[in-house]
Amino acid sequence: MTVAAGVGYVLIALGPALSLFASVIAKKPFLILTLLSSTLFWLISLIILAGAWRAFLPVKSTELWPYSILILTSVGFQEGIRIGFWRLFKKMEDMLNAFADRVSKPRLFLTDKMQLALAGGLGHGLAHAVFFCLSLLTPAFGPATFYVDKCPSIPFFLISAIIALGFVIIHTFSMVIAFNGYTEGKRKDQIFVPFAHLIAALITLINLVPGGCNIGLPLLCIMAGTTLYYNWQLVWRRLTEHQTTRSSD
Amino acid sequence: MPPPDDPPSTTTTTRTSIIDSLGVEIVGVMSPVSICMLLVVLILTSLSSPSTTSSTSPPPVTAATLIYVESDSDSPSHKLLGAVLDAAAFVALIAAATFLLVLLYYYNFTSFLKNYLRFSVFFVLFSMGGSIMASLLQHFSIPLDAPTSFILLFNFAILGVLSVFSPAVPILLRQSYMVSVAVIVAVWFARLPEWTTWVLLIALALYDLAAVLCPHGPLRILVELASSRDEELPALVYEARPTDSSHPVSPPASTPVASLGSVEMQPVSEASNSNSSSVDEEERSPLVSSPPVVRENLSNFNHEQVRESNNSNHAVVEMETGESETLALVEREGFRSSSNSDSEFEMFDSTRGIRLGLGDFVFYSVLVGRAAMYDLMTVYACYLAIISGLGCTLILLSVFRHALPALPISITLGVIFYFLTRLLMEPFVVGASTNLVMF
Repeated sequence: MTVAAGVGYVLIALGPALSLFASVIAKKPFLILTLLSSTLFWLISLIILAGAWRAFLPVKSTELWPYSILILTSVGFQEGIRIGFWRLFKKMEDMLNAFADRVSKPRLFLTDKMQLALAGGLGHGLAHAVFFCLSLLTPAFGPATFYVDKCPSIPFFLISAIIALGFVIIHTFSMVIAFNGYTEGKRKDQIFVPFAHLIAALITLINLVPGGCNIGLPLLCIMAGTTLYYNWQLVWRRLTEHQTTRSSD
Repeated sequence: MPPPDDPPSTTTTTRTSIIDSLGVEIVGVMSPVSICMLLVVLILTSLSSPSTTSSTSPPPVTAATLIYVESDSDSPSHKLLGAVLDAAAFVALIAAATFLLVLLYYYNFTSFLKNYLRFSVFFVLFSMGGSIMASLLQHFSIPLDAPTSFILLFNFAILGVLSVFSPAVPILLRQSYMVSVAVIVAVWFARLPEWTTWVLLIALALYDLAAVLCPHGPLRILVELASSRDEELPALVYEARPTDSSHPVSPPASTPVASLGSVEMQPVSEASNSNSSSVDEEERSPLVSSPPVVRENLSNFNHEQVRESNNSNHAVVEMETGESETLALVEREGFRSSSNSDSEFEMFDSTRGIRLGLGDFVFYSVLVGRAAMYDLMTVYACYLAIISGLGCTLILLSVFRHALPALPISITLGVIFYFLTRLLMEPFVVGASTNLVMF
């Protein structure tokens, strides 16, 4: 529906991501590199998944269960990758700390580690938004719009933009939660992340039912809001604890 | 408990952390590459409307289509054979031109080479850039009359010529012109037929590998000649000098510098004799490290020394892993050139950054542009592959510390990711997302 609409859809999907990028990540080149490598990771995991599923495609769009198996395997695989990503992150943290000792500069702060986790999560979210939403947005820059059969009330582009927005938020902040959870060893955080991801992905299954997107979209946004809130609480708690421990010695 | 007066983070932000400035050089090289690719993708997607597909208009006759011109009606094996022949002819042409360049440089025809490069930059900006500008004006119906656009184009081209080899021009302007030249050449190259483009990219990556790393490779000879004479190569390079650091003027004292290779790039231009043939410019180059590199070998020392020199910005950043793999991300040192060999102009400050040849820009953008002609998903996948290949090359550069070819790793990764995405990922992702099932 013209360039304005196309740009609008892009901004709906990527607006918060862009502002996060401009305010936090663009200032430190190392975070940009972290973002690029985490995007690459997500892309590789997606390619592996696609390779594994290639033989079973195309899936008949009327059935529910092939898609649920697809989602279960994909989410499981991606959460496994997240643990691998965390191991790499630990190694990199050790390298950076060793280097910091050598340069006689302070070691990584808590905020540094959180920013690294944020950059990693944003890379995942960005990759999701580009591959699932932006690559299909090219017709939106033209003169018409498109509606999916199952969802005749909202244009397809708008739905995918809003879903992408939800997932960007979920991916970005679940990485912060997950890294904190693995570092501190807290079960609650570690369980929360795959759980939230799985629930969010299963919510999109509701979109397969005719008219389901009217329920699915708000639920997804609620899920994104929950992740955001959980992350906020976690970060606030960690930072105040850190502040008190630092000021006490 | 009342919240603390300052939020917990303000006290930590006043202290600098090590990740604040780590990796500046790498990002300084990756940003122009990304900008170049973005511009090429934008120009190609906006100029290619459905009415001008390659099947309706004949592809330009260039050096890359000397032997075989692809047409849609040929069988795949025929196309492949034709593409391989085309690529072989092109690479042979490039090799011949490189040897000619080495010969000229050996016999000290440096000023001839520089003037030739200036002419070719003018030609690229004025003629090839002009035709792109004309099609853009036409496509977007911009009301600009012919004399005005001619004058603007002429000014643009002249300023580009002036900025190419003059050290007095601001670095940002020079960098912008390098990127524009790369964009224009890449847009022209992307008009080649599809099979020819892919085979050509792979062939050039292999050639680059051979030419830079083999002992008698032309590029390696060129690099060694330039470093032994301690002067800059007469070539078009992009220099990622940090644009915000201070540039103190250094006295022309001669300092022993451990000169390493410099990037080189050789222009090959076929004079357009007939009106049907188009000039084909080819620039390729290995990636190089900054010439003066005095680096602390941290595997031997347990402490690190930050080298201070009078008038240079510096950062020696090295890290070691347990497997004694040194990972130097940033290294710059003040470089005072002995300007006796270069009588044309004085060298001012030179805090050297990483230098990347323009040919690398061109062929990265050609790959991404060709991916753009298929789909946006492949564009992003190829972009990530190229950027990660570039990152790997930069890391290898800091390990090996001599000129390295920048094409092979990136092009290989790019081609692999393109075909993987096109064949594997796209049915998967498009099938899921059009049904609004996402994860």
